Amino acid sequence: MKKPLAPRVTRAILLTLFSAIFVLYVAGPVAWLVSSSLQSEAEITRVPPNWLPQNPSIANFEAIFSAADRVVTYENRRQGEALTSTFLPSGAANLLPAMRNSLVIGLWVAALNLLLSVTAAYAIAVIDFRGRRATLYTVLATRVVPDIALVVPLFLVIRNLGLINSLGALVVTYLAITVPFTIFILISYFEGIPRDLYRAARIDGCGHGRALWHVYLPLSLPALVASLTFAFLTSWNEFVFALVLTQNVAAQTLPIIISGFIMDFTTSFSFVNAAGVIAIIPPVLMAVVFQRYIVSGLTAGAVKG
Amino acid sequence: MARITCAALTKSYGAVLAVDALDLSIGHGEFMVLLGPSGCGKTTTLNMIAGLEEISAGRLLFDETEVTWTPPHKREVAMVFQSYALYPNKTVRENIAFPLRLRGQSASEIERAVGAAAEQLEITHLLGRRPNELSGGQRQRVALGRAIVRKPSVFLMDEPLSNLDATLRLSMRGLIKRLHQELKATFVYVTHDQAEAMTLADRIAVMKGGLIQQLDTPEGIYERPGNIFVAGFLGSPPINLVEGVIADGAFIRGDFRLPLSKPPEEGRAVVLGLRPEDVSAGGDVAARVELVSPLGSETHLDVLAEGGVALTLRVPKEWRAAPGDRLSFGIDPARLHIFDKASETRL
Repeated sequence: MKKPLAPRVTRAILLTLFSAIFVLYVAGPVAWLVSSSLQSEAEITRVPPNWLPQNPSIANFEAIFSAADRVVTYENRRQGEALTSTFLPSGAANLLPAMRNSLVIGLWVAALNLLLSVTAAYAIAVIDFRGRRATLYTVLATRVVPDIALVVPLFLVIRNLGLINSLGALVVTYLAITVPFTIFILISYFEGIPRDLYRAARIDGCGHGRALWHVYLPLSLPALVASLTFAFLTSWNEFVFALVLTQNVAAQTLPIIISGFIMDFTTSFSFVNAAGVIAIIPPVLMAVVFQRYIVSGLTAGAVKG
Repeated sequence: MARITCAALTKSYGAVLAVDALDLSIGHGEFMVLLGPSGCGKTTTLNMIAGLEEISAGRLLFDETEVTWTPPHKREVAMVFQSYALYPNKTVRENIAFPLRLRGQSASEIERAVGAAAEQLEITHLLGRRPNELSGGQRQRVALGRAIVRKPSVFLMDEPLSNLDATLRLSMRGLIKRLHQELKATFVYVTHDQAEAMTLADRIAVMKGGLIQQLDTPEGIYERPGNIFVAGFLGSPPINLVEGVIADGAFIRGDFRLPLSKPPEEGRAVVLGLRPEDVSAGGDVAARVELVSPLGSETHLDVLAEGGVALTLRVPKEWRAAPGDRLSFGIDPARLHIFDKASETRL
């Protein structure tokens, strides 16, 4: 019997309504970020606000890309007016170098995190060795400690290693954060791959390295992409460790530099938002490129279902 | 071809003994079937031969070479799994070629070998497909192709037909037998299906509780079961087992009396084994028909004989009987199996 029409319509309306609220909740701030980056300071502080730019302008972006050529000193720092978008924060010239730092650190962390986690997860998930369970629990235990509790010990370790104010300090630190979690994710994924595929690979002539390369990695593409994205975004967004471990602009990352704009004598929200738009471009590109790999059903047909 | 020697091969998981000091010698080119119920240790034994399970104690030799600690990829064995275990991200061609690629063979050699294997298994038209586009039977053929393409000296098969339907199982059984005849390699085949074991094996090792209960040819196992377990495991319908004693050179249970050709000592408690088909028309054993199960080519009769002895008989379809009918049949004393009741071994 077909369901009555009224409940179906009500259900459809409710679903649409809640979906719309959810989309607004998630995408609203991003939309405002983009919209306000194209407006002058005067426009974005207007009440009621202009949700869509009345006079769209890329002046904020131009300011970012020309900042390196403009010297801001104590004397000339008031050369621009915040309300007309000509104001330039003192650290504006550091934005693009910081972005380059974030990118370099993010890529190193993503790559090394994958390399370390994949091999560790394979060993724990597939190879039966003494101490396997203890290894797993030790890895997980490192993630129970809140990051903030690790700041001082890590600072001391990094300082004693002579790595303060270097990109390496952040790479090492972010790996300590991302690797345990990625191992945990990959173990679950590897354990979901039929054991007979591992057995078949070993019989066919694979040692552990080849079994990992030829069987586990191709079938774990969604988990690998998720791990890659997770590691990149974690290092891209991280603030506390970056603040403590890097104290000069040569090694500072995007979140530190952008936060510096807000703490300046005058804050240009339109400029900060333009910087924010630039900051979200790499993660968005990454999500767009990799989302097609995050699919299920890669092991379909491998074993009797 | 290779000769496989298992010397006191043992596998334990903590306190649980899965395979208990198994001694087994499998000859060059022999088709050995490990037969037994779930948990009897047959697959564990196969995995130890493959190198997929670490051997807890004992030795394993291929010909004269000890391979006890040799990893699976260096043993030169091929294996076919119950679950097919095809690489889902590779096409049929890539699946079959995979072991050859790992051995660094040239592209032309691989192409030739894959083509030959595919032709032998009649799957040439499937070479471009992926495993999820194949039926169960086709997948198992591909798994066989991946095994034969390497021309290994030892083939290991872990219940390869268990996931197939009855008709397909029959044709695949024939295919495996043909492959064995053509390849002349040593086959070790694990199954719990007695029909597969009987039709394929040169010799059968019947296993239970990690031990070999009997090692013999299919005929030997069927005709001369070494104990009650083996007698009961082979045969469909299963052998009739009746407890009783020996008196006056005959098996006695209440009013049920059967003279024996070679009776054990008087007064011994025994178990009589009678295969359902070992009866003939018009003998002196009287019984009442309880249930008639016609199968077309033959008929199964459940009867109640003297002394309340319940028997299942497998008789020609020409035997017409209905529930409640009285019938008499003959039993050849030479076809009876007598087991000691206490030790359950053949007397």
